Amino acid sequence: MSSPSSLDELIEALRCLPGVGPKSAQRMAYHLLQRNPRGAERLGQAIDHALKTLRRCARCNTFTEDEVCDRCASPRRDPTQLCIVEMPVDLNTMEQTHAYGGLYYVLMGRLSPLDGIGPKELGFERLLARATDGVVKEVILATNFTNEGEATAHYLSEVLHARGLKVSRIARGLPVGGELEYSDAATVAQAFIERRDY
Amino acid sequence: MSTGKQRIDGAAAFLLHAHPYSETSLILDVFSRPYGRLALLARGARRPRSALRGVLLGFQPLELSWFGGGEVKTLARAEWMGGIALLSGKCLLLGYYLNELLLKLLPREDAHPVLYDAYADALGALSRGSAEAAELRRFEKILLRELGYGLALDKEVASGEPVRADRQYVYLVERGAVEARDDEGLPSISGKTLLDLAADDYDDPRTLAESKALMRQLVAHYLAGQPLQSRRVFVELQDL
Repeated sequence: MSSPSSLDELIEALRCLPGVGPKSAQRMAYHLLQRNPRGAERLGQAIDHALKTLRRCARCNTFTEDEVCDRCASPRRDPTQLCIVEMPVDLNTMEQTHAYGGLYYVLMGRLSPLDGIGPKELGFERLLARATDGVVKEVILATNFTNEGEATAHYLSEVLHARGLKVSRIARGLPVGGELEYSDAATVAQAFIERRDY
Repeated sequence: MSTGKQRIDGAAAFLLHAHPYSETSLILDVFSRPYGRLALLARGARRPRSALRGVLLGFQPLELSWFGGGEVKTLARAEWMGGIALLSGKCLLLGYYLNELLLKLLPREDAHPVLYDAYADALGALSRGSAEAAELRRFEKILLRELGYGLALDKEVASGEPVRADRQYVYLVERGAVEARDDEGLPSISGKTLLDLAADDYDDPRTLAESKALMRQLVAHYLAGQPLQSRRVFVELQDL
């Protein structure tokens, strides 16, 4: 049994979402068409609008409607500190800490050699230009503590050091309120290896 | 191994690569000591508080349990065994190179305990910051031998004469070393390099350079045109 081509196309289009296979895509398409055509219209318009108005901030690389996002344009933030994170969600988490008052750069990914993601794909050149604008004094590497995040941090620290910047890395160890008894062994091992004078 | 459903408990394994699967799961490509390379579905491994998060780490000795009979088994339990420090810096990138070789050259569900031990040794050496180039050559040699492409390094293939340290040779893929003549068009290798490589002796810088070129030629042959992403990324990072 063949379905109309516009339906097929909708199902195929929905599969571009992460974690959506053929079955889920079909379910979503029928739901939108049968139960919620107004929602479908709104979704279509929102995607269209977002694609037309959103772009990357010239300074921090995250999504914004302007040339420079509000955070990068704010005079209240310390422009001498630049925190590098992998994804916009990481930036949000950093902001929730209220512990940091500097600016950000969002890589929109991480080095992943096995997936063919290297410095070119991540736009290291753009980041280097941003970090060496003459105002930034310290770069804080807040990439994830995965192998990919570590590889990213290592190479960024090398190139940024070579350009005379102070480079720091967020600390790794037990979570606040963490008890040794309930922590995973790899975390405790690393916390032990990276123990500090006290 | 199509013996239907079975359950494997506590197999020593390394995680080679992981892909996101559905909303919260991962498909793992693991290299286990008793069963070789296989694909495992790790249900819920991407949930925020999944206990697997601090366990499913690349380049770390793990103990995995799984069940199922299909091509993709289901991960039941994973434990971090420790003993190898986390790789960092350049050695981390070299670790990816080892993983890519295994992912691209090792067929699934083919047990290779000798290769597994060589991989564990290589990771251990990388984590201690030992001479990296020598470790890579040692591993590549064992990898080719375990895949059935063993190298004949100490005998001239046509005559059967022992390779002589003071002569020049070329290495023909799948055949072996022959004495170099002017018309071969292949890079020539000194007899000493071949003998050093056979003995895993990499103290001579010339041995290191020539054996690297030879191994690159052989690995490229067996990859049959597949590019090595980890090498490209590594080279690009060195150029920054």
